[in-house]
Amino acid sequence: MWTFFVLPGTILLVLVLGFPAFQSILYSIYPEGGGSSYNLNNYSILFSDSVFRQVFGNTVLFVILSVASHLLLGLGVALVLNMEIFAKPLFRLIALLPWVVPDVVVGIIWRWMFDPVYGSFNDLLIKAGLISTHIQWLSNPKLALASVIFVNLWRGFPFVMLILLAGLQSISTVLYEAAAIDGASRWQLFSRITLPGLKKMLVVALALDIVWEVRRFGLIQTMTQGGPGNITEVLSTYIYKQYFQFFRFEYASAVAVVMTAALLMVSLPYIWMISQEE
Amino acid sequence: MRFFKTSILVVLGLAVLIGLSTFANAQEKVTLRFSDWHLTEAPWDKTLADAMALFEQRNPNIKVALEPVSYKDKETKYTVETAAGKGPDIFHLHAFSLPMFFDKGFAKDLTPFIEKEGGAKFLEPWYPLCINMMKYKGKIHAMPGDYMSMVLVFNTELFKEAGLDPKKPPKTWEEFLEYNIKLTKPPERWGVAVLGAKDPGFELRFSPFLWSFGGDYLTPDNKKSALNTPEAKEAFKYFIELFTKYKVMPPGVPTMNAQDVRTQLAHRKIAWEIGSGWTAPIVNSINPELKAFDVLAAAPLPSKKKKVTTIWLSSWVMNPNTKHPKEAWELLKFITSKEMELNWFVKNRVTSSRKDVSEKAPEILNDKFASVIASQLPYGKVVPQIPQWPEIMDAFTTAVQEAFTEMKTPEKALADAHERINGILARKK
Repeated sequence: MWTFFVLPGTILLVLVLGFPAFQSILYSIYPEGGGSSYNLNNYSILFSDSVFRQVFGNTVLFVILSVASHLLLGLGVALVLNMEIFAKPLFRLIALLPWVVPDVVVGIIWRWMFDPVYGSFNDLLIKAGLISTHIQWLSNPKLALASVIFVNLWRGFPFVMLILLAGLQSISTVLYEAAAIDGASRWQLFSRITLPGLKKMLVVALALDIVWEVRRFGLIQTMTQGGPGNITEVLSTYIYKQYFQFFRFEYASAVAVVMTAALLMVSLPYIWMISQEE
Repeated sequence: MRFFKTSILVVLGLAVLIGLSTFANAQEKVTLRFSDWHLTEAPWDKTLADAMALFEQRNPNIKVALEPVSYKDKETKYTVETAAGKGPDIFHLHAFSLPMFFDKGFAKDLTPFIEKEGGAKFLEPWYPLCINMMKYKGKIHAMPGDYMSMVLVFNTELFKEAGLDPKKPPKTWEEFLEYNIKLTKPPERWGVAVLGAKDPGFELRFSPFLWSFGGDYLTPDNKKSALNTPEAKEAFKYFIELFTKYKVMPPGVPTMNAQDVRTQLAHRKIAWEIGSGWTAPIVNSINPELKAFDVLAAAPLPSKKKKVTTIWLSSWVMNPNTKHPKEAWELLKFITSKEMELNWFVKNRVTSSRKDVSEKAPEILNDKFASVIASQLPYGKVVPQIPQWPEIMDAFTTAVQEAFTEMKTPEKALADAHERINGILARKK
């Protein structure tokens, strides 16, 4: 009987997720420009393409640095906002604001702020005495990816903070009081009570953030379009370019399949870990 | 007799029914979806809305639904929708996107409509080059729209401030560099800005450098890269050094798009740019205080071995999925008519692919921008019309950015682009 209730949901999932995924896999083994037989030629082109290898490396770097910075800043802000501070609800609201703004809007705003001639970011840093000349944040190959990651940190940390804040609030204060009576230091309180208490939330935040950062598109597309050169090109912008600008449907599908496989390899252990704990 | 009466009644009944259904069809209003990136830009948005209102007034059975799309996203939108069997009935593209659309079957063959209108005689008013660019396998799959040459658009006041005579613009690229050095006074002002972003507008601005030095992107048969010639190398180095060595371009050029450049011109941060008919109206809308129509002037591009400029040509495409081809053709005819082509110029300063407008209309011949643009059309050249072109251009702009940012020397960046482009062309399509 239970299968009867599950059936509509299953059919919907197959239609919405399964069919496009199957179609993409099929496209990826279809010869570019037409042909009669399916083969793995698109994958062979892909792995021998130096630009793809660079893009893959950029994506790994972008995801690792973005996720790590989200976790660090998110945890730090969550700890502060969990303390008894003045106007706590207001600060919580302010901290959430960057997350509410759409990716594309964030990208456009920061692109203007980073403008080396008109941008307010340079002016701010000059007035603060931190730099003496205007810096080309998005045009300098040494700074472009770091600048995009910085904006992504600003945009993305509130989500991690929100999850961790919820986790912090679920840790019983009794544990801290008991540890304090036993003479535990601040570090011991953090490492022995806070971190273990947040473990599950950290895993959830990490898994979700990795998935989202691998798929990050609007921010990079609006800020740099993958430039200068291919310095900030990531898999999502690369797929977009191959599919919609170059009309290489088959090759773009092969890249998408590789990206999905990589994503599954990273996220499946987390999903498994969460399901085991449940 | 009875059978005869019954037959007459049946025939009469059928006639009435057919008549009624025809009447009902005649009353049914057809809605056409019309999409254009200009709908997102002032003052084009109003011009187009007014024109469509006029079309509806003249064709009471047709309603036109306007669908704005950003310049950058238009290909994506039209590709996705057309591939899904939908999409706007009529959409606007620049001509260099056409080969990809033709190749994928995303443009309806207009030849049957044109034949009904008189065939070759109907097409006579257009420049033959423009009509040829609308052809795919011998059939016309789009109608030409704006037709302009790229020229120098400069601020005459900044020329005077730098001690330069606005009536004597540079004639050679050597002079162009000398003028730029005189005009550059950082951080207040730089000479010129040319967009360096991966933007479809890049090739319009860069190509005249390459061609006039005697170089080209591809060999004449479009089968190999021609970027390894001494002329191409010289042109590329000259262009890059304007930014890296002579510093007559403002910082940020490697990621600037066309609108960024126009913003710099509007705010007197640069003295000139490579633009066309659209430049003055857009600059004016960015900063009306500049009084762009008075302060700006146009001049032919400098040259070296050849006098040459890039041609901008836009095109109107009928979606193969349209359910109302007859009405869509009426709209196509209307927007490419002599009346409307002149209207686009009067309101938005774009010259036409119709000779009877660009070469005859006093409004164009007496306009200080349009007269220069029209005078350069005979020197116009178009980039190769091949499906791989966007990918080739991406490889090339990557090289430009790598050289601008000194990740690679100009020689190395160009050599890498040459290899990559050969790889793209060698791939079986």
